[in-house]
Amino acid sequence: MSSLQAREVTKTFGGLTALSKVSLDLHPGEVHGLIGPNGSGKTTLLNLLSGYYKPDAGQIVLDDEDLSAKPVQRRASIGVSRTFQKPRLLPTLTVLDNAIVGGWPHAKCGFVATAFSLPCTGHEEREMRARATELLHGVGLGHVLQRRANLLEHAEQRFLEIARALMLRARFLMLDEPAGGLTGVEIGHLSDIITVLRDCGIGVLLVEHHTDFVFRICDRVTTLDLGRVIKHGLPDEVRTDAEVRRVYLGA
Amino acid sequence: MLTILVSGLASGALYAAAALIYNVMFSTSKVLSVATGHTAMLGGVFGAWFISTLGWPIPIALLGSVVIGGVFGFLTDLIAIRRVLARSDEHLWLLSTLALATMTQQAVALWWGTEPRPFPRLIPQDFTVGLADQKYWLPVAIAILMALGLELFYRRTLYGKLFVAMSEDAFAARARGIPTDRIRALSYVIAGAMGGLAGFAAGQLTFAYFALGLTLSLNGFIALAVGGLGSNTGALVGGAALGLLSAVATYFIGGEYQNTVAVGLLMVVLLLKPEGLFGARNVRPV
Amino acid sequence: MVLLALVTLPFWAGDEYKLHLAALIGAYWVLIGGLNLVIGYTGQLSVGHVGLLAIGAYAFAILAGTHGVHPAVAIAISGGIGGLCGLLLGLPSLRLPGFYFAMATLAFALIVSELILAQTALTGGGVGLSVPGFPEPFDSPAGTYYLILALGALVTWLTWNVARRMWGRGLIAVRDSVVTAQAVGVPVFRAKLTVFVFSGITAGVAGALFGSLQSYITPDTFIFELGLFFFVCIIIGGRGGIIGPLLGTAVLTALPELAAPLAKLGTFFYGLLLLIVVLLVPEGIGRLFEIVLERVRGRKVDSMPVSPDLARLSAAVRADRAT
Repeated sequence: MSSLQAREVTKTFGGLTALSKVSLDLHPGEVHGLIGPNGSGKTTLLNLLSGYYKPDAGQIVLDDEDLSAKPVQRRASIGVSRTFQKPRLLPTLTVLDNAIVGGWPHAKCGFVATAFSLPCTGHEEREMRARATELLHGVGLGHVLQRRANLLEHAEQRFLEIARALMLRARFLMLDEPAGGLTGVEIGHLSDIITVLRDCGIGVLLVEHHTDFVFRICDRVTTLDLGRVIKHGLPDEVRTDAEVRRVYLGA
Repeated sequence: MLTILVSGLASGALYAAAALIYNVMFSTSKVLSVATGHTAMLGGVFGAWFISTLGWPIPIALLGSVVIGGVFGFLTDLIAIRRVLARSDEHLWLLSTLALATMTQQAVALWWGTEPRPFPRLIPQDFTVGLADQKYWLPVAIAILMALGLELFYRRTLYGKLFVAMSEDAFAARARGIPTDRIRALSYVIAGAMGGLAGFAAGQLTFAYFALGLTLSLNGFIALAVGGLGSNTGALVGGAALGLLSAVATYFIGGEYQNTVAVGLLMVVLLLKPEGLFGARNVRPV
Repeated sequence: MVLLALVTLPFWAGDEYKLHLAALIGAYWVLIGGLNLVIGYTGQLSVGHVGLLAIGAYAFAILAGTHGVHPAVAIAISGGIGGLCGLLLGLPSLRLPGFYFAMATLAFALIVSELILAQTALTGGGVGLSVPGFPEPFDSPAGTYYLILALGALVTWLTWNVARRMWGRGLIAVRDSVVTAQAVGVPVFRAKLTVFVFSGITAGVAGALFGSLQSYITPDTFIFELGLFFFVCIIIGGRGGIIGPLLGTAVLTALPELAAPLAKLGTFFYGLLLLIVVLLVPEGIGRLFEIVLERVRGRKVDSMPVSPDLARLSAAVRADRAT
């Protein structure tokens, strides 16, 4: 099975070079950490992989398909999903509806079929509800299925985003600082969830500042600084690397 | 033909003034107010009322119109902007300024009547002077003065520099201790006062007419979009272009197509250069 | 119960005036119901749908009146033309940011007015056109009412279906968080355009019905304030719902008829209501009722910690990947 790859991608904004010839391979069934100081380009790389930015040089590739110029929606339809640094939810909908919307790429009934309530819509709706309910129970939100999303606690919001991302039938899940604002216990839960996803064969990209957390659960780690990769390898290799310590971890 | 061009330029000056007002309000609030044109409408209507009905001397009436405009600007900020900016829903300000614009327009219609009423002569001048008629050059002069005044204000005065700081990064401005709410209110007062002045100056061209508000908001917006959001030079150029084009089109095709021509111009410019002629690449309104 | 009242309305309404009012509300609802998907669900603030109403009305008047086309066919064609014009308007303007889009729809309404006034040969210009009624059995006031009721019910059913399924959620994503809509794969522009064209069709049909009710139309019948009225009905009724805007339409249409002082205030009153709603209850009166109901029922917000069911998660993800 192929990996989601960034190949020598470069991205500049005005005069500022955010990323310079950065490569990264996200393999299925692994947890890949992405760390680095603020401004190192982590979120930019995430945005490039998910399609919100287009690379100025280099490519984003999956399954021999060059995704570089393809929009976010194309990537969603082939199973590339992500969460956001600040959870982006639909505040007027319930938790269940927020999760179900993640199933959009797999809802095949068109507008006209939906308007006339053709049988395929009822069928699809039932299936989506069932899947979303399972996923929500799975991430621990079974007790708030009917709650309005704007009434959720911070941790609940983050886990809801994960459930929604999974509804996509994700092959790759990219998490943008998912531990932000979580308690130790909640980070433990997050850790468990990510491990389960990895064991199911999903490739997880973990962009994080909580370095203990990263080194604990990641199979490989990439470190960025000022838009370049300064170290890439197993967690222990990265943790003890002199350059990484100097730039990010402190000696 | 020359009369057509001059008249078009004069109308264009009024559109340019409206675009300038949009810019001032946008700089501190990132909001485009639907009630922009109404500041000028009020200036014209109240100016006519002060002079013709109340018999005030012209300089006092001018001051009165400017004050009315300023008060309306302040009310716009107070009612339609302040409470709404705090909420996360992005387009509430569109609804609130639309509501305010509607209420203002209809209130004036109920009070002033729905027929355009004449605006009195401001400077003693024969009605037969043709092209030198003040109804043409007053709006043009005022628009240019306003643009120059804004440039001086932004560059030479403390408050002007605060405006610029806020427009570039409101969050950072607030973090540095700048009282953003008060600056924004001040900018709306200035914008409203500009509107009152513009409406007063253009009154002889447009007549004192309640429905001017919405059409001026639209035409001023077209001038703004053509010239480029955030650019005062663009406002002047956009207004002139729109005024001249509309006048020429009216001459050749007929006055019934004014709106069609205006929108046509807008579409062409937006297709070729989406940020407007003088607009900055990344200035995107919400 | 409400359905029964609506169906039997001609019998208890009293006089023909009230029946006409009910029919008018229904005609408005045919447009507003479709527009609701655009404004209430997709968040596209169109103030210019009165232009599409006018196009539908004039199309019907010209086809059924001047050219003697059968009214049923004429209604259908009016709807089609409305949809086509919705497409033409939507294509360039739906990509624009909010304010620009609103101004574009405003300009559209003014342009339609201009063109109707100018094309005197076709539309009668300022003098206007008379609009034929419908054939039997719809030619009586009660008959017209039932026709409108049926079409109104159809629009309600269609939009309710869209709203409660995946499309409804996708549209709300476009409205509340475009980034989310993209992330879950919603084709944002195509979705906006689809509902916009749908709203054009319903506006075209509504135009035919409305024109027939008025029996004579001029450009002044379709002033911008009417477009503002449609917009306000939806915002006040509440975005994200069907019943809210429906009630909003009924109440706001009936109010000036029943309370004479309000009629005099006219559009000022709608502007004031809009302002009050935006400042105090931005989600609309519908939401206000929900909140009151929740207070009455005593919603218990129990705060339980998040505790994942890992076995269930694993099973669910594996099931997803197997398909």
